[in-house]
Amino acid sequence: MASRSPSSSLPRVIAGPLAAVGKTGEQVAEHAGQLGLLLGRTARAIFTLKVSLQSVFRQVYIMGVQSLPIVIVAALLAGIVTSQQGGYQFQGSVPLYVLGSVVTSSVVLELGPVLTAIVLVGRVGARITAELGTMKVSEQIDAFEALGRDPIAILAAPRILAGIITVPILVAIANVVGILAGMVAARITVGLGYEAFLYGARLFWHNWDLLYSLMKAVTFGFAIPVISIHMGMRTSGGAAGVGRITTASVMFMTLTVLILDALFPPLFLQ
Amino acid sequence: MSLIRYVDIHKAFDQPVLTGVDLAVEEGEMFGIFGPSGTGKSVLLKSTIGLLELDRGNVIVEGDPVYGGPRGTVQRVRRKVGYVFQNAALFDSLNVWENVEMGIPEEEVQKLSRRERTRKIWDSLELVNLRPQEVLTKLPSELSGGMRKRVGIARAIVGRPRILLWDEPTTGLDPVNTAAVERLIERLSGELRVTSIIVTHDIEGGLQMCGRVAMLHSGVLRFCGTPEAFLASEDPLVRAFSDRSAAQAALDEVEVT
Repeated sequence: MASRSPSSSLPRVIAGPLAAVGKTGEQVAEHAGQLGLLLGRTARAIFTLKVSLQSVFRQVYIMGVQSLPIVIVAALLAGIVTSQQGGYQFQGSVPLYVLGSVVTSSVVLELGPVLTAIVLVGRVGARITAELGTMKVSEQIDAFEALGRDPIAILAAPRILAGIITVPILVAIANVVGILAGMVAARITVGLGYEAFLYGARLFWHNWDLLYSLMKAVTFGFAIPVISIHMGMRTSGGAAGVGRITTASVMFMTLTVLILDALFPPLFLQ
Repeated sequence: MSLIRYVDIHKAFDQPVLTGVDLAVEEGEMFGIFGPSGTGKSVLLKSTIGLLELDRGNVIVEGDPVYGGPRGTVQRVRRKVGYVFQNAALFDSLNVWENVEMGIPEEEVQKLSRRERTRKIWDSLELVNLRPQEVLTKLPSELSGGMRKRVGIARAIVGRPRILLWDEPTTGLDPVNTAAVERLIERLSGELRVTSIIVTHDIEGGLQMCGRVAMLHSGVLRFCGTPEAFLASEDPLVRAFSDRSAAQAALDEVEVT
């Protein structure tokens, strides 16, 4: 008698979704396993001092210096828009100096780190995935292994270290630019003087906010290169595969940044 | 004892690629592996140095198991092997000097002065008939396909390996460059006294160069023996493959003339 597989006895309406859940679970487990391996091998490369400082500085230059103009523009606009919208809402109802606090807190707690991270997802993360994906499909990563070199020490570790170093610096610059832009915009649009703006900013300021902002920056600076490297290294299918994986990587990084951002307030602002 | 032994190799991606392949390659031998596209030739070659995980089986190189051996075994095997990739797989962001330098084992790089390393790189480029003074500072994107292939070969031989693995070394080259690379493979194998495994579609060149050849079909070893036995084989699949390749070679010659 022919044996029946378990799924063949289930109606298609149930078997289909069950199979999809199983496949998704398998993919999630595969990603998690590969990410774990990547992190383990990166940590080993760093602690055994196999990472070239020159490569780290090169990546700091690419991620940091080359991203500076777009990060400054994003922070400038974020500061101006927050200030203008706040000014519009507060006029006639709330003392205008409160605007200083609203702009400062919005930029430091949220807009500075998150906008910078989103900009870096597009500028740095996509670039890393596409670069490593191309290296993968053209067998350059295999070539490192064949030559007895560790591609994680050469390609992954410098990018992850550079992300952790660079993103907090970029976020700090974005915070300063965003606040200054908000201050100037408040003076021009609602006539709030610089002293009144700074008075409002100091009134509700907590030193913890700055640390919170930098903690977010370090987290994003770690997550963006890790995800982009992971996705790049699992590329297959030639040029079309590189395109597909880069798109998926950008989506994955953006979602990760937003989810991590949503986890921060309940964890650190209670 | 054979220098390289493939034992019961099984590998599947979406479908089976290699199924129970057993092969032995002797020291000093030039061994060709033929077969249609997608039959697992490159997968078999990559398994020699553990570039991919196998579903079952093992590769033994000079007694060292590539899979499941003690820590450091794979690295030890890789130090003995030079791998020539199908499309050279040169590192895009490095110039020719830096690319070839990557072929010198890491421990040796630390011991040698820059002048000594340049000497080695220079010699390797000359061995593959390139003019070092003209190419050393060029990026891979500034080289022709044939030159990239030669730089890939120079990188594979600069560490003086005992085994050379050639993954379709003549694919994508015009007939003139194909003949030149084949002569180069023969000369290098003789001069460097290495054991070579060549995966190729070029049946004519492969039969001329190799002392023994094997043919894979649908992931199964279909033939293993001398070139004479290959040409005399009564196996319909072997005959069909060799006849089609001969017809293609004739067509290529007509196109050249």
